[in-house]
Amino acid sequence: MIEFTIDTQLAALFTSAAFIVIGLFAAIFLDNIIKKIIGIAFIEEGANLFIVTLGYKQGGIVPIFLPGMNAEWFAANSAYPLPHALVLTSIVIGASTLAVMLAIAMVLYRKYGSLSTAVILGDKKPDIIKSGVIDSNEKGDKNE
Amino acid sequence: MNEFIPLMVIIPIVCALLLNLLHKKDNSTKIIAIIVAIIVPIIPLIANYGLHYFGGHAPLIANSTLLSSLPAEIANSTLASFHPAITYSFEAFQKLFIFILGIVAFFAIFTSLSETKRTSGPLMFLMFMGIAAVTAILLTDDIFHMYVFFEIAALAQTGIILTSNTEDNYETALKYLIVGSIGGPLLLLGIGFVLGVFGSVNITDIVYSISNGIVDPLSPTVLLAFGLIFFGWLYASGLPPFHTIKSSIYSKALPHSAALLQGFTVITFIAIGIVIFRIFSYLPYFKTLIIIFSLLAMILGITMAIMQTDFRRMLGFLAVGELGYIGLGFGLGTHLSITAGLFQAANEIIITALLFIGFGTVMYLTNTSNTNKLGGLLSVNPKLAIMVLIGGFAMAGVPPLNGFQSKLMIIQASLDSGFPEISIIAILVSIATFMTFVKAFHSVYLKPKPKDLKLVNSSVPKPAIISIAILLLICIILGIFPQIATDPISQFVGGLI
Repeated sequence: MIEFTIDTQLAALFTSAAFIVIGLFAAIFLDNIIKKIIGIAFIEEGANLFIVTLGYKQGGIVPIFLPGMNAEWFAANSAYPLPHALVLTSIVIGASTLAVMLAIAMVLYRKYGSLSTAVILGDKKPDIIKSGVIDSNEKGDKNE
Repeated sequence: MNEFIPLMVIIPIVCALLLNLLHKKDNSTKIIAIIVAIIVPIIPLIANYGLHYFGGHAPLIANSTLLSSLPAEIANSTLASFHPAITYSFEAFQKLFIFILGIVAFFAIFTSLSETKRTSGPLMFLMFMGIAAVTAILLTDDIFHMYVFFEIAALAQTGIILTSNTEDNYETALKYLIVGSIGGPLLLLGIGFVLGVFGSVNITDIVYSISNGIVDPLSPTVLLAFGLIFFGWLYASGLPPFHTIKSSIYSKALPHSAALLQGFTVITFIAIGIVIFRIFSYLPYFKTLIIIFSLLAMILGITMAIMQTDFRRMLGFLAVGELGYIGLGFGLGTHLSITAGLFQAANEIIITALLFIGFGTVMYLTNTSNTNKLGGLLSVNPKLAIMVLIGGFAMAGVPPLNGFQSKLMIIQASLDSGFPEISIIAILVSIATFMTFVKAFHSVYLKPKPKDLKLVNSSVPKPAIISIAILLLICIILGIFPQIATDPISQFVGGLI
């Protein structure tokens, strides 16, 4: 039996790469807006995971300098805290962007009665919307 | 006093939050917006040049008492010169651009308040958030801080489109956000690679690491970081392949908002451009790559502008095309070319704002931006029409206006660098810009008025006319005395190269 082991940092990097690739595929090729938004969330989280991974140290300690610690030992063994601090901000930004995108998706669903980007952004707009004959809110409750 | 430096960002943010809270109180919103819009361009004029360290954490070498108390291996190492805090750098260059942004913001807000019956608190909130974000992008010496405010600026721009209530504004906003949500994280990933290689996100520290051979500047990771940050830059600036979406957001925003949006874009473009230049300009093919994308922007921008029948889209594409001239400045990479490119950036912010507000008055009068449905508006306000015409001439590079001075410098720089072909393309694009503008001006003002064209309003609001007149005056002053702008820019570029 082959024993397969992988370094934690390398595993995290592969995971982040997988997140980004899956996210890019969903954001570019999938038609449903919600699926696109989920794909975008994948890309953002992939980038965040990548940055968190940079601060990882095998067998490292929490980067808090406590009284009595030797400075050199601390410098050699603590994790790098900067990426973690950066990612906190990045997560907030990602959440804000997602919230705005979801809000726009809701408005557009009420207008078109569909979550398909081909319908909303493409040339397949229903004639009734193009001509503006009816108020778009009337279509709000229809399912896709 | 260096305390003024963070205030350039803090005051618009506080104002934005306050306006959002007061959005149903029309008069309060209006008064606060106008007061802060006046303060914003004044702060850079009274602030002293220097650095501001958030939290007061200056590099160790700046604190001799602390440095002398540290062990010699730290005090004498490169660590002593590294920046532990987010740093804002304020020089004559930043002063010039923050002042221009402030002026354009003031006129955009002034016109917006005069043209709308009810003041929109959320719109004002978004405008001030955008101003704060773009100012921070220009001031910061920290690449991650720049990314954070870049995302805030992108969200503010999306919000401004959403508040415009124009046709298909939600669709355009969603499209912009989807594209941005791919471009933004890729930029973040690039910054992650930079952090991984250099161990810092401070741009001065990164440049120090490269110039002192602390890291291998040609490692594949650095190349990958450059590729990702370059992609983010293309998205931020609206260079191809993002030129269509960028011009769409201008056309879906209200004209006075579009005047501000293009200012955001130009400043983001130069700020990230300068960062890329500082960190990566030694890479092979760096300059060629920027020149190619800049030429593409110029050619695609003008080609698409000439085909438009909607003057807002036409202006959007012209604005994108003009970015190509700025990019050429970075691409040629000489002292003169970068000075010319940055001077062109200052001019473009003013001229495009003038044209958006100028053509915005046409929308105010007729409620349409379709040039096929317009005509005969010269008789409504001939003085305004002439001012818009001169603004268009400034964009096309007609002497003695400011656009002429910057474009001439770019052409001279490309000839000096041994690229006469670029000069020829730049001249041809200028001529095409002139033709496009004259065609649009003829359609709107000179051709006979169509029978079915009805004026929604009989006259143009005075704030819009005053805004256009002052912006035009700045164009003429910068055209006759270009050294007002080129001296601080040239001084900054000297330090950059």
